[in-house]
Order: sequence, then structure tokens, then C-alpha cells
Amino acid sequence: MKRFIHHSELARDSRFVRQDNAQSTVLAQMPDDVETVVNIFDQFTPMIEESVRGTAAQALFDEYGPGFALMVLNEPLDPDSPISKTRLLLRMHGIFVGELQALEGAARSLWDFPDAPWEFKMNMARQCWDEGRHVQIFEKLLTHLGGEVGMFPESTFLFECACSEDPAMRVAGVNRGLEGLACDVFRDMIRYAEKTGDETMRQAVDYVLADEITHVRFGSEWVKAFTEGDPDHFKRTQDFRREVDKQFSFGGARSDRPDAAIPIAWEDRVEAGFSEEELRDLAELSVGGPSKKTLIEAARILRERHQARKAEQSKETGQ
Amino acid sequence: MSQRMYPGMSPDEKTTFAPYSAFDIPADLRELHGRYDVEATARRCRNFRYAEEWMMMILGGWVATIPEVPVKTGLGKIIWETAQAADELGRRLPELRCGRKAVEASEASNQAFADFIQALSDPEQPDLSIEKLAGIFDVLKPHLVEVYERTMRETDQISDAPTIEILDTIVRKTRRHIAWGQEVLDRLCDTDATRERRRKRIDLINAKLAECGGVTGTLESDRGSLH
Repeated sequence: MKRFIHHSELARDSRFVRQDNAQSTVLAQMPDDVETVVNIFDQFTPMIEESVRGTAAQALFDEYGPGFALMVLNEPLDPDSPISKTRLLLRMHGIFVGELQALEGAARSLWDFPDAPWEFKMNMARQCWDEGRHVQIFEKLLTHLGGEVGMFPESTFLFECACSEDPAMRVAGVNRGLEGLACDVFRDMIRYAEKTGDETMRQAVDYVLADEITHVRFGSEWVKAFTEGDPDHFKRTQDFRREVDKQFSFGGARSDRPDAAIPIAWEDRVEAGFSEEELRDLAELSVGGPSKKTLIEAARILRERHQARKAEQSKETGQ
Repeated sequence: MSQRMYPGMSPDEKTTFAPYSAFDIPADLRELHGRYDVEATARRCRNFRYAEEWMMMILGGWVATIPEVPVKTGLGKIIWETAQAADELGRRLPELRCGRKAVEASEASNQAFADFIQALSDPEQPDLSIEKLAGIFDVLKPHLVEVYERTMRETDQISDAPTIEILDTIVRKTRRHIAWGQEVLDRLCDTDATRERRRKRIDLINAKLAECGGVTGTLESDRGSLH
């Protein structure tokens, strides 16, 4: 068996559909300019349409056009919103595939780094069990909410970001960047479950959050251990983690902004070993990119154009 | 005269407590002396640890390349328990005069067993779940259970009890792994063609295992029947 696999080699059963990771990369690099955001999404229209075809996200595409992700990502989950259930399922499905890739990432670390210290292997092995349970938990929660596996396309962007060939980089990206993001998302899900009185979801996600804090702590400790005595290496891991954090801030949707869809779980992150300085840095870098106002205006234009195109097509079909 | 609570210096200063030996009730039928001395037990622990450590790493490598979701998640727990097995075996080594740093000492019994482990890890593609799982759950894990149980029976029951305790826990969990793996394989092998694939893989891996002498390299002399 070879060491280090490409994200396209993640094995899936016939329920899953892949999404092109280019969308996620672009989303993380957009400037704060309505026209540019609209043009970028316009260019991606065929790819986005193709990736959602036959999935539950097709209804969102039909309604909002290629910019549906901007609507979905940038508004906090609101139980009273008419599309709240679809948005909740979309997020839950995203978490489910994220956990699946986290399991695969931790497990690959065992094979990819055979000479790593034993305690590192023990931590990664433990994480395999935890992530395996998380996959089971989110599959059950997905069913609990009326969804199913494969109802939305899967982006393998998480695994792509996480698969550095340097163990220090990998734990910096996965255990500090992505598991840190998981802390933010799960704290937000707990708030949502409290608001809707869903005790099953609240308790399950609360347990998952406890595990994630442990995984971030693994990352905090191993980055220090792997880079001990090598400040340049340490700096590279910090830069990589910042890059992952930037990518997964979704243009400020996860940030410290007062109107962020997913606020940073400050206290959970402190418990997991993030320093105040790192958190201030995260707060700063995550608000970069387009403002919420820009994204909502871009989404409005994209929706109008989409509706116009649809009207044009049905006119042609009618003639 | 009041009853003496503690013995004194002379024969008439004994206590009146009736003798009670640990060998009386319950009857301790264990006998001293086993097949393995300290050095041989240490060598076996290193060999066992090698197998458990590599199994854990191989299963870790496969999680991403196996398409069946319940298999991925089931392996997550097995990976952790296999790592714990390796860890416990490693922790026994310093107690067997291998030095305090010996806890991470895994050692293949011979080069052929190391080659066998690499051969076990060969299947890579997503359509080879049967080959992947059959090698581990139909052959290697049952072989380890057989060897661990033989070791538990043959080693000194009193002097080497800590090894027995460790192996006892590992065997209990490994039996659960085997039962899980066989249930999964029975489900995956639901046609004659897939059952044949499983059988071929078992035969191949069994032959390689016999060739290298198993986990301790002494299969011939230890011989019980392979699965």
C-alpha cells in the first residue's frame, strides 16, 4: 500500500456525489467587491449546477441560482426561516462528510508516518475511534432530522487541506485548523438545538464537542513536539494552520463578526490549547475577504440573473 | 491467659490463630514453572507488539480506501483497541528486564514475518475490501488469538501472571474483532464469486503465515491448527 493518497482517492459507496473543490478555494480568496464575486460565481454556474443535480441542493440552486451557497453560508441558522430545514440538513450533511474525512485523515496518519513517536500513533488511533463514532452520530442525527447520506454533494476540500506530507503540518492543519473549526460549528449547533428544544441533538453534539477539544489539544501538543528546537518549522506550521483557517472561514461566515453565521467558540478553543494571541489572529484573518453586505448583494444579483435565464429558457421552450 | 495478638521471641509466645495458607481455600492448583523464561516471554511480547502495531497501521491506511461506511467506522474502534493491545504489550517489556525505554520495542520474529506483514498490506484499491479484511480477520487475528491462548496456558501461571492478564484482555477484544470482521465479510461475500475471492485470499495468507512460522516464528513447534 502506498503512502500518501490524493483526495480524489477517498473511497465512497454509490450514495455519494463529489463536488469540485475549486469552489471552496475560490470562496476563500474572493475580494470585497460585488461585481467580482458575481462574475466568479457566474463562471462556476455549469460546475455548480452539475454538482447539485439529483441532490437535495438542486432545489436551492433552482431557487437561488449558483450563489445559493452565499445565502446558505452567511446567514445564521434560524429555525423560523422557510428554508431552515434544508439549510440545517445541508450543514448536518457537511459535518457528516467532514467527520468521515477526519476519520480518514487520522487513520492515514498512522500509515503515512510509520516512524512517528508511539504516543502520536496512540493519539491518532484514539482519534480514529472518536471520529468513527462521530460519523455514526451524525448519520443518526441526519436521519433524526429527516435527511439521508448522499442527499448533498461531498466536497473533499477538508481532506485536501489536511494531507500534508509533514506530520507537524498535518496536525497543525487537521487538529488545530479543522478541529478548531469543528469547535466553532458544534458550539453553534448546540445553540441551535437549545433554541429548537432538540435535546437529542444538543446532547449528542455536546459530547462530540468534548472529543474535538481533545483532538485540538493533541494538535497543540504535537505541533510543539514535532517542531521543538526548530523555530522556522514551527512558523511554517503556524502559517499553514492560518491558511487552513482562512480557507475555512468561508469569506467571514465563520468569524468574530457580530453577524457571523458561525461565531468563533472562544472559550472552547482556549480550553483546547489555543493562546489568546492565536485567537486574536484567527479573529482578524477570518473577517478578511468580502463583507456580508457584499456577499448578500452578490447573491441577490445572481438570483435575479438565474431567474431571468430560467424565464428566457422557458420562453424559448414555449416557442 | 489472654490470647496473644503478635508472636514473641520464644516458641511458647506464638499466637493462637489457626494457620491458613493461600494454597488451601480456594485450592490453588497452579504449578510453578512454565515453558517460557523471562527472556523468552520478553521476546514473545516484542513479537506480539510488532504484529499489533502493524495491524493498527495497516487498518489505518485502509480506512480511506474502503468504500463501505460502516466498515470505516467499525475499523475506527478496532484500530484504537489494536493500538491499546500494542501499548499494553510494550508496557510489559520494562517489567521483563528490557529496560525502561523498551515500551516501544516492536520486533518481528524474523524477516519472513516482516515480509508477511507487508504482503498483508498489499491490497489498495477500493474494490478489494474482501482481500483487505480476509487477511486480517480470517487469518492474522485468529492466528494471534491461538498463539496468545497457547502462551497463556504454557507460561508460568504465577510468575508470569501479568503477561497472562494482558493477553487475556487482548484475546477478549480480538475475539470481538474477529466476530465483527466475519459478519462484515459474510455480508460482502454474498455470491459464489466473492466467496471464492475470500477463500483464495485466506489460502494465500495462511500459506504465507505458515511459511514464516507465524508471529513468533515457531509455528511448526507450537502447531495448533490454523483457521
